[in-house]
Amino acid sequence: MSKDLKFLVVDDFSTMRRIIKNLLHDLGYSNVTEADDGKTALPMLQAGSFDFLITDWNMPGMPGLDLIKAVRADEKLSKMPVLMLTAEAKREQIIEAAQAGVNGYVIKPFTAETLKEKLDKILGTGK
Amino acid sequence: MSNFSILKGEYGTYVETLSEALERGDESGFFAAVDHIVHMREPKMFAEIRKLTGDLQKALDRFSIESRLADIAEHEIPNARARLTHVINMTDEAAHRTLDLVERSGPLAERTAREAGVLLDALGAFRERAPASGFEGIARAVEAFLPVVRALEAFLPAARTDSEQIRRNLAEVLLAQGYQDLTGQIIRSVIKLVEELENALGNLTRLSGGLVEHASLGENPSAGHGPVVPGVTQGEVASAQTDVDALLSGLGM
Repeated sequence: MSKDLKFLVVDDFSTMRRIIKNLLHDLGYSNVTEADDGKTALPMLQAGSFDFLITDWNMPGMPGLDLIKAVRADEKLSKMPVLMLTAEAKREQIIEAAQAGVNGYVIKPFTAETLKEKLDKILGTGK
Repeated sequence: MSNFSILKGEYGTYVETLSEALERGDESGFFAAVDHIVHMREPKMFAEIRKLTGDLQKALDRFSIESRLADIAEHEIPNARARLTHVINMTDEAAHRTLDLVERSGPLAERTAREAGVLLDALGAFRERAPASGFEGIARAVEAFLPVVRALEAFLPAARTDSEQIRRNLAEVLLAQGYQDLTGQIIRSVIKLVEELENALGNLTRLSGGLVEHASLGENPSAGHGPVVPGVTQGEVASAQTDVDALLSGLGM
């Protein structure tokens, strides 16, 4: 049943969205929707029935960190699993993201194995 | 002593000599006194001229720097912006092209693998059969093998076509990487411009004698800093996923 999970992938670069979408597809998750920044993602999250959010940090409009804070502040979305997938790698940023309530943090460039490992860990689908 | 009394001390006698010579109608005495006074003024005049020349030189330097800066601001910066945008477009195009080819090759490889698996199973099942004996046994074995042969006949040409297509796709992926050369050249030219801008602004700051106030751009902390750049990014940085994992598990995640 977990393979029917509905993902929202938020990244300002369409190539990165496509890469993530392909990797998710390879992992068996084919229900993937895209958004290009927090501002477009938030209403989609509020309107749609997404099960999982994967977001970049550095985006024009609304950065990923602000999106996560908005998601955690929204009663309906506060429990949604969130994976941050970003090039931001400063120690204080990772801590900030953890405090904002991410469930996982993957730095770019990343591997398919890392993505799988974090998804499994968050979803409890690993061995 | 006031400035004027200094002047009186320095010039008084010569002015007196001058007016006396004028009264006497002593032409050579008059000009000698005039020469003397002019001579006294010369060093100060030269110092003034030197100072004026220096100021003029500075103004000219400043003008040449500023006109170069104006040129850079007016033409080359917009140019550089257009070139960098072109770099983004080229990398975007190359990445999408590569992704297209990967997405098209994946199913071909998958199909070959799947059909080879089906064939292997069929071959395996055939081997598992009881050994054939007698004419009828052999005839039954041949009969049982026929579907395998037909499957093989269908599989091999498809496998060849698919593999050839994958090979062509890979060759195109290879070619798509040519963007690195082209974008590299463009980025290098922009680096040169930034370097020139840096020098011109540095010279201007020096000419202004440090009158320029240091102002730093305000940064929105939640906006992010972008990818880590070795040697540029400051502060403690995670260099690999293991660093992130260690940090987060230290935080109890």
